[in-house]
Amino acid sequence: MRRKRVKQLFKRFLRDKRAITPVLSHLLLTVVAVAVMSLATSATFVITTNLRQTMGERVVVEDVWFNSAAGTLDVYLRNVGKADIQVSGVYVNHVGASFNGAFHLEVYKQGWLRIAYSGVSGESYYIDIVTKRGTHIADYYKAS
Amino acid sequence: MRTITRLLRREKRGISTVIVVMLSLVLIVMIVGNVVLWSYQMNEVDLERSQEALTITNVTRTEPAGISIDIKNTGSVSLHIVAVWVTNSTLHQRYSANVFMNAGESIAYNRTDITVPQGVFLAKVVTERGNIAVFSED
Repeated sequence: MRRKRVKQLFKRFLRDKRAITPVLSHLLLTVVAVAVMSLATSATFVITTNLRQTMGERVVVEDVWFNSAAGTLDVYLRNVGKADIQVSGVYVNHVGASFNGAFHLEVYKQGWLRIAYSGVSGESYYIDIVTKRGTHIADYYKAS
Repeated sequence: MRTITRLLRREKRGISTVIVVMLSLVLIVMIVGNVVLWSYQMNEVDLERSQEALTITNVTRTEPAGISIDIKNTGSVSLHIVAVWVTNSTLHQRYSANVFMNAGESIAYNRTDITVPQGVFLAKVVTERGNIAVFSED
């Protein structure tokens, strides 16, 4: 008896097509809204993380050595900022110079950046080191 | 007041606009707050670095080997020396250090493991915040 009653109710539910469209449209709208909001939140996270890392870059040049024996210009860098850095380009007197591969420095780490460049003793050079995020570490150094 | 509440309850138009504006505001506040907070932290770092100052008043060779560096903290904040450099035209050697100095304090920093080159050389001390003091010994 009870089974019959359930069957009847189910049949009536299947037959009744009214108000299905509003339910579907609301459901779709909710899905779209949630998707867009998630996208916006992710974008916000990515943008702020990038901004924070760019603002947190601080690099100190501890030493510059015009190493005539090796024919290189060695720069000792230390990362004193709050983000890892990667050197993407080096310019000596505004001309690009090659250096020892992918130079990556973690926070509070240091190391020699060896630039393929021979300086003349007594001459001044403008050395510009550029990180991947666009920070410039630039100054004049005199070869000794 | 009751009438206004009743009207607001009955009137459903413009609700989605309000929700969108509120969500957008939340996002904007998140971005701006994050950036401002980080900027403030980095400003603190830069301010502390600018307040830090140190000088090397004298450098002497010690017998039988080593070096003695007289350092004075002339800044208003305490500092942490992390490295000592001894350089000349043919040698640039870095030695790790771990010395803390209060504001206004003077110390004689002795190291027997540092080899001092003959002739003209340059001694440098580097702090954790990235400031450097230099002394030229003829």
